[in-house]
Amino acid sequence: MKEREEMADNNALDIYEKEAEEMTAMHKITDKDRFERTGGGFVNLFFKGNLYERVKVVRLFPFTDADKYISIRENDEKAKEIGIIEDLNDLSEETKEMLKEQLRLNYFTPVIQKIYSIKDEYGYAYFHVLTNKGECKFAINMASNAVTKLSDSRLIIMDLDENRFEIRDVNALTQKERRKLDLFL
Amino acid sequence: MILHYNLPKKIIDTIPLSENERIYYAVPFDIDGEGQWTEGSYLIVTTGKIHIYENEKITETIEIKNCTKAKAEAKVGGGILTVTIGDEPRVLVHYSAKHLSRYAYIARGINILISGRFEEVESNEYEKMCPKCGRAIPGTKNCPHCSKEGGFLKNFLRMAKPYKKGFFGVFVLMVLAAVTTLLNPEIQKHLINDVLRGGGGMKQALVYLAIMFSLSVGIVIVNILKSNASTRLGARISEDLRMALFQKYQELPLSFINDRRPGELLNRITQDTTFIREFMEDVFCNLFAVFFIFIWDVLFMMILNIKLALLTFVTVPIVVVMVLAFRKSVHRIFHLQYKKNDDVSSDLQDVISGMRVVKTYGREEAEANRFKALSTEFSNTQRRNETFWAIFNPIISFLMGMGAIVVVYFGGWDVFNEKMDAGELYQFMTYTVLLFQYINWMSWLPRTLTQLTSSLERINDILSQDVKKLDDAELAEVDIKGEITFDHATFGYKSYQPVLEDINAVIKPGEMIGIVGASGTGKSTLINLLMGLYEIDDGHLLIDGTDIRDIKRKSYHSQIGVVLQETFLFSGTIIDNIRFSKPDATYDEIIRAAKMANAHDFISRTPDGYNTYVGEKGYSLSGGERQRIAIARAILTNPRLLILDEATASLDTESEFMIQKALERLTDGKTTFAIAHRLSTLKKADRIMVIDGHRIAEIGTHEELLNSRGIYYKLHMAQIG
Ligand SMILES: Nc1ncnc2c1ncn2[C@@H]1O[C@H](COP(=O)(O)OP(=O)(O)OP(=O)(O)O)[C@@H](O)[C@H]1O
Ligand SMILES: [Mg+2]
Repeated sequence: MKEREEMADNNALDIYEKEAEEMTAMHKITDKDRFERTGGGFVNLFFKGNLYERVKVVRLFPFTDADKYISIRENDEKAKEIGIIEDLNDLSEETKEMLKEQLRLNYFTPVIQKIYSIKDEYGYAYFHVLTNKGECKFAINMASNAVTKLSDSRLIIMDLDENRFEIRDVNALTQKERRKLDLFL
Repeated sequence: MILHYNLPKKIIDTIPLSENERIYYAVPFDIDGEGQWTEGSYLIVTTGKIHIYENEKITETIEIKNCTKAKAEAKVGGGILTVTIGDEPRVLVHYSAKHLSRYAYIARGINILISGRFEEVESNEYEKMCPKCGRAIPGTKNCPHCSKEGGFLKNFLRMAKPYKKGFFGVFVLMVLAAVTTLLNPEIQKHLINDVLRGGGGMKQALVYLAIMFSLSVGIVIVNILKSNASTRLGARISEDLRMALFQKYQELPLSFINDRRPGELLNRITQDTTFIREFMEDVFCNLFAVFFIFIWDVLFMMILNIKLALLTFVTVPIVVVMVLAFRKSVHRIFHLQYKKNDDVSSDLQDVISGMRVVKTYGREEAEANRFKALSTEFSNTQRRNETFWAIFNPIISFLMGMGAIVVVYFGGWDVFNEKMDAGELYQFMTYTVLLFQYINWMSWLPRTLTQLTSSLERINDILSQDVKKLDDAELAEVDIKGEITFDHATFGYKSYQPVLEDINAVIKPGEMIGIVGASGTGKSTLINLLMGLYEIDDGHLLIDGTDIRDIKRKSYHSQIGVVLQETFLFSGTIIDNIRFSKPDATYDEIIRAAKMANAHDFISRTPDGYNTYVGEKGYSLSGGERQRIAIARAILTNPRLLILDEATASLDTESEFMIQKALERLTDGKTTFAIAHRLSTLKKADRIMVIDGHRIAEIGTHEELLNSRGIYYKLHMAQIG
C-alpha cells in the first residue's frame, strides 16, 4: 500500500519535471511539418506525429520582426507552445499564405501612409488618414498617452477604441504632414 | 452600447424574414476578408438566422439551429466572431477593437438563441464615439454636443436652481456694474465739452470731477462686491457638487467604477468641480455685464456717430480672425511645451523609482545622458516659445488697438470739419476701446462654454446614474447563517473577457472552504462576488437561499469579515484602522482582536502603541504587520462569514502558525473561505475548491482530491516534494 503511494508520488513528481523540461525546451517548426486549412478558416498542424487542431499563430516580435519567430500554440486556455517558426519566408508559399491569413485575423495594426488632416477639438484629436488597410478616420484623447514612441521615428497611436495605428517612419511623411503630427510627438 | 443599429431600408428589404421572425441584433463589422477596412457591412441576427451583409448583398446565412456555440474572440487590435457548426469552429466576421465589446454581447445573444430562449441581451456600456456627429464622447452616456434632453442650458439651470438667491444677487450687481461703466464716458464728454472747451467755471468742473470720482469708486465697489458674491457662489456650488459626487461614488456598484479609467473619476471630483468654480468666478460674474455693456456700447457708438461706428465695426471681423489665428498657433506651441515637460518629468520619475535597478546594472551614466537629451530639448522648446511670446504679444495689443486708430483718423477729420466735437470724439474713443476689450473677452467664450458643458455633462452623468435598489426598504435584513450557493454564476470584469464561468457549488453553514488555483484564475474574483462588490452577469449567488441582490448591503457587510490580498490601511492610527469595521468597539475588544491576530505584541513595541500613525506618510509597517492589522480588523466584528484572501501569505511560518491556531478557534462554526497558495495553510479546510480554466475544476475534501489524482494532487506533490 505504502509503496504504491510512493510510486504514484514519484509519478507526479516526474510529471512536474517533464513539464518543467517542456517549458524550457525550444522546438523548431520547419517546412517538414505540415499545416492544413480547416473548413472554418483556421489551420491544423501535424507535428512530431501529433495532430494539433486550430492552432494559435502568435508573433513574438510584432513590431521589430513581424515575420520572424512565429510561435505556434495549442488552442486552449493554457495555449502551450508547440513550436516556433524561425522565419515565415523559409516555408513553402502555400504554408506561408495559410499562416499569413491567420496572422491577419489575429493582428490588426493598420500602418498610416498618409495624413489627410488632424483636427483638434476640446481635448480630442480627429485623424483622417490613409493606411495600408484603406482610408479611415479615428479619434484620440489628447490628455492620455495615446502616442507611444517605439523609436525616434516610429510611432504607435492608440485611438479611443483601442485600435492601434502604426507610423513606420515619421521622416518619410511630407513636411506638411509632419507639422500636423507635431503636436503629438 | 448599440446592439441593434438602424439599418437603411434597402438593407432591411434584403433580409428574408419568415413569420414570427424578427431582427434581434444588427451590428457593423469593419474589416473585410482581405483584412482591409470596409464600410456598410453588417452582421444581422434574427430569431432563427445569422446573416452577413457585405457589398450590398447577403453573402452568407447560417441557421442558428445548426450551431452549438458562438464566441467573440479578442485578438490584437480587433477580434473575430466564430460559431461552431457541428464540430467545426468557423470564422464569421472580423472587426476592429471598436466593436470588441459589442460582439461579446452579440455572442452572448446568439448563445441564448441557440439554447432555445428568446431573451434579448442589452448592454449598459457607453458608446465612445457619438454615432450622430462622430465626435468623441467624454465618458458619458450622451454626447454633450448632440444630447437634447441633457442640453447645456438645462443642465446649467438644474445645477443653478438651488442657488436662486445667490444668482439673483450676482445678477443685480452685474447690471449695476454695467450702468456705472457706461455712464463714465458720458460724464467725461460733458467735462470736455462744457468745461474745458465751453469755458465753464471751476465750480462746474469740480462737480463733474466729483461725479466722475464717485462713479469710479462706485465701479470699484460694485466690482468687488460682484466678484465676492460670485466667488462665494462658485465655491458653494462646487463644494456641494463635490460632496454629491463623493456620496454617489460610494453608492455606485464597483463595476461602474471599474468601467471607467482610473483617475477619470477622481478628475470629476477635483477638476470638473474646480472648473465650475472657476467659471463662476471668472466668467459668469462678467457674463451678463459684458453682454449688457456690449449692446449699449454699440448703441451709443451708433447714436454718437453712425458713420464712424460702422467704420469701426468693419475692422472687427478682421481683428477677430487675426486674433483667433494667432491664438491657435500660441496654443499649439505651448501644448508642445507641456508635452515635453511631461516627458521630462515622467522620465525623471521612471529613473528615480527604478534607481535600485539602475544602480545594480551600473547604468547611471547612460540614464543621465538620456535625461540630459530630453531636458535640453525641453529647454530649447521653452526658449523658442518665450521668444515667440515676447515678439507676438505686443502684436496682439496692436491689433486690438487698430480700431482706435481708425477712429482717431476719421473722427479727427470730423472734428476738424466741425461735424463732431472733441468731447464726443473722446467719448467715442472710450467706447471703441471698451468694444474691443469685450470682443476679446467674448472670443474666449465658445471654448470656455464647451469645457463647461463637458464638465457639467460628466458630473451629471454620475449624478443621474440610477443606483439599483441599494438598501431600499424592500430589501431584506438578514441574519447570516452561512449557507452559500453558487448557481451557474458567470462573471467577467470586461464584457468580452469572462473570468468565471458557470460556477456551481453549495457551501454548508460553518464549512471552511479552501480555494486554490494558479495565479490569475479568478480566486480573488470569486470572493469579490461573495462580498457583493460586483454583480454576477449570469446565474445566481444565494446567501441562505436569498439572492444576494435582494439583501440589504449594510446588514450583509456588517456580518462578514474580510482580509484582502492587498492589505489596505488608511492614513490614520492603528486603532482607527482596526476600528474601521466597528467604530464603537471598546479597547477591550480591540486588544482581544489584535491579540488573536498576533498583532498585539508588535503594536506594543512601537513607541506610540495603538496610537501609532500608519498609512502613506506614517510609520512604515512591514507586509506581515499590515496583514495582521487587517486580520484584527476582520475579526473585530465577530463575523458570521469570514473571507481570507492570502491572509497569511506575507507572514513567517511561526506567525502564520500562531494565527492559524487563533483563527481556528474563531472560524469554528463560521463559514470561511480561505485562499492560499501554501497548501499547508488549508490543512483544516473541510473542502478544497480548485479553480482552473474559469471553472471549479475540482471540489472535495483533501483526501478525496488526493485520491482523484487531479490538479490538487499535483500541487500537493509539488509542494511537499
Ligand atoms: N479589477 C479588475 N479589472 C479587470 N480585470 C481584472 C480585475 N481584477 C482582476 N482582473 C483579472 O481577472 C483575472 C482573475 O483575477 P483574480 O484577481 O481573481 O486572480 P487570482 O486567482 O486571485 O490570482 P492571484 O493568485 O494572483 O491572486 C485576472 O486575469 C486579472 O487580470
Ligand atoms: Mg488573488
